[in-house]
Amino acid sequence: MRGLISSAAAILLVSGFLLFINYRLEHKAGSAGKDTITVYNWGEYIDPDLLKEFEEKEGIKVIYETFDSNEGMMGKIEQGGTSYDVTVPSEYAVQMMEEKDLLIPLDFSKIPNIQHIDPYFMDLPFDPDNQYSIPYFWGTVGIAYNPSLLEGQTFESWDSLWDASLRQKLILVDSAREVIGVSLNSLGYSLNSTSLQELKEATDKLETMGPNVKAVIGDEVTQLMINNEASVALTWSGQAADMISENDEIDYIVPEEGSNLWFDNIVIPKTATNIEGAYKFINFMLDPEVAAQNAEYVGYSTPNISALSFMDEEITSDERFYPDEQARENLEVYENLGLETLGVYNELFLKFKMGLR
Amino acid sequence: MGKLSSLPKIYLTLVFVILYAPIFYLIYYSFNSGGGMSHFESFTLEHYQAVFQDTRLLIIVMNTVIIALLSALLSTTIGVIGALAIYFMKNKSARQTILSLNNILIVSPDVIIGASFLILFTLIGVKLGFASVLISHIAFSIPIVVIMVLPKLQEMSTSLIDAALDLGATRKDVMTRVILPYIKPGIFAGFFLALTYSLDDFAVTFFVTGNGFSTLSVEIYSMARTGITLTINALSGLIFLITIVLVLGYYIIGNKAKSPQGVRK
Repeated sequence: MRGLISSAAAILLVSGFLLFINYRLEHKAGSAGKDTITVYNWGEYIDPDLLKEFEEKEGIKVIYETFDSNEGMMGKIEQGGTSYDVTVPSEYAVQMMEEKDLLIPLDFSKIPNIQHIDPYFMDLPFDPDNQYSIPYFWGTVGIAYNPSLLEGQTFESWDSLWDASLRQKLILVDSAREVIGVSLNSLGYSLNSTSLQELKEATDKLETMGPNVKAVIGDEVTQLMINNEASVALTWSGQAADMISENDEIDYIVPEEGSNLWFDNIVIPKTATNIEGAYKFINFMLDPEVAAQNAEYVGYSTPNISALSFMDEEITSDERFYPDEQARENLEVYENLGLETLGVYNELFLKFKMGLR
Repeated sequence: MGKLSSLPKIYLTLVFVILYAPIFYLIYYSFNSGGGMSHFESFTLEHYQAVFQDTRLLIIVMNTVIIALLSALLSTTIGVIGALAIYFMKNKSARQTILSLNNILIVSPDVIIGASFLILFTLIGVKLGFASVLISHIAFSIPIVVIMVLPKLQEMSTSLIDAALDLGATRKDVMTRVILPYIKPGIFAGFFLALTYSLDDFAVTFFVTGNGFSTLSVEIYSMARTGITLTINALSGLIFLITIVLVLGYYIIGNKAKSPQGVRK
């Protein structure tokens, strides 16, 4: 009995000690006053130095939390119980959050730095007039490939993914709209097609790609490509940038028929308790120098046109990640197709996956 | 255990290699200056430095440990009382029912438990954060503790209690001097299992964290999209090292305490 009690006491003592250290650390970190904002972002999606800079500049402490999926983030916000002041959903999630009435309309007079955002990335179908969101990072869907493992194939066209030489080599991202989108793009249809006829044609064509498909997976593909264990992958430009930074043999291309243009966007959710602080934070993140530093840290493409001049020429001139206007013409942003059509996409994709091998 | 022929030895070695190889692989790359896990460039300690400079990460690690310790302690206490209650329950069918309910909680998926807690907490207006994480960790650990303690109780001969009562022990004495010492190994096993469950739980924790409170598993999972940095390798290496030191320490202390009393079979 005594052994049990002393063990319990020891555990309490240790946790008390850790709590104390924690308290000290938190107070050392947040030298600022009682004003705080809570930021909910993807993991590793901001330069931590910028948070410190913001705290020092504005005297607002930043509580920073991370999530790993749009759906998870939305679930938390919808349920409440938290006080997130700023979060960063992808474009389709912005639309879903708007429909569920989870967002606060933005007041541009409090975000003067919005002028630095490339007008090309403003006023897009998922959020007309940018009523609720401001682009944070953007990118494309394309093909990452490793020429040293291939026999001279190139991927200027989506059709090359059907090439018999790629048998059992292609890795697809596990996402219905991206994969069916490839087929839609290759047939010249819109990525937002709701026509059952077009979708049927697309999935029929997709099924003939079957023998080439080695796997349908998620984020693990980055590591496989880096380790030269895979040679071709359908992926997002952000992931491709990660691959290239680790293994410079890898190349990334957006086929000429066009592709998807994706965005992650800053929004203020309804749960916000410090809206003034949220505006200050958003404005701070849109500052050209801040955005430049952030883009270099994260490695994704920034929509902040003024930031480009503060960045390494080598990054901003890389047309794989900063395509010129002509290349952008063929890019299409996802629209929210509604639950029913989305269900059709998912079902077709599931059928395709089950038919593999 | 004295004479092991070579086949079992090879088998055991193989098992341990499989168990430990990923951990050592991870630690090996924590010294890599190359920034990734693809190829080893040169030796560096910068990732370890980064761990200690990243206050946010340190706070998260501490949070994780505090939650694990406290939730394991509380769930062990509650679980032991629960196991005793089940053991002394007269009504056989009631006992069976409660035990089944306990087992259902063990096999129910974490996501379901997490989502239920999220809905519950927001319904009754509990702010998500330290308290909500602690409560849910205690909740999913209790059934495990019960399962660890109950066999110890059942294995205990009832004549021990009868003998103690015959010799004039009060009910309190029976509890503190006979039953609890007897089931102590079960209690510790339950505690350590609850501790590990709490340390590595992601699914439940993700739903109930909030307002700046986060644990290591949630933090690491959220890095999946942009890639996990070598800082996490370094941190894992440190945690692994601390665990080894603690386990070794536990054995040394345990052996010292035991030796004067002589041999145990």
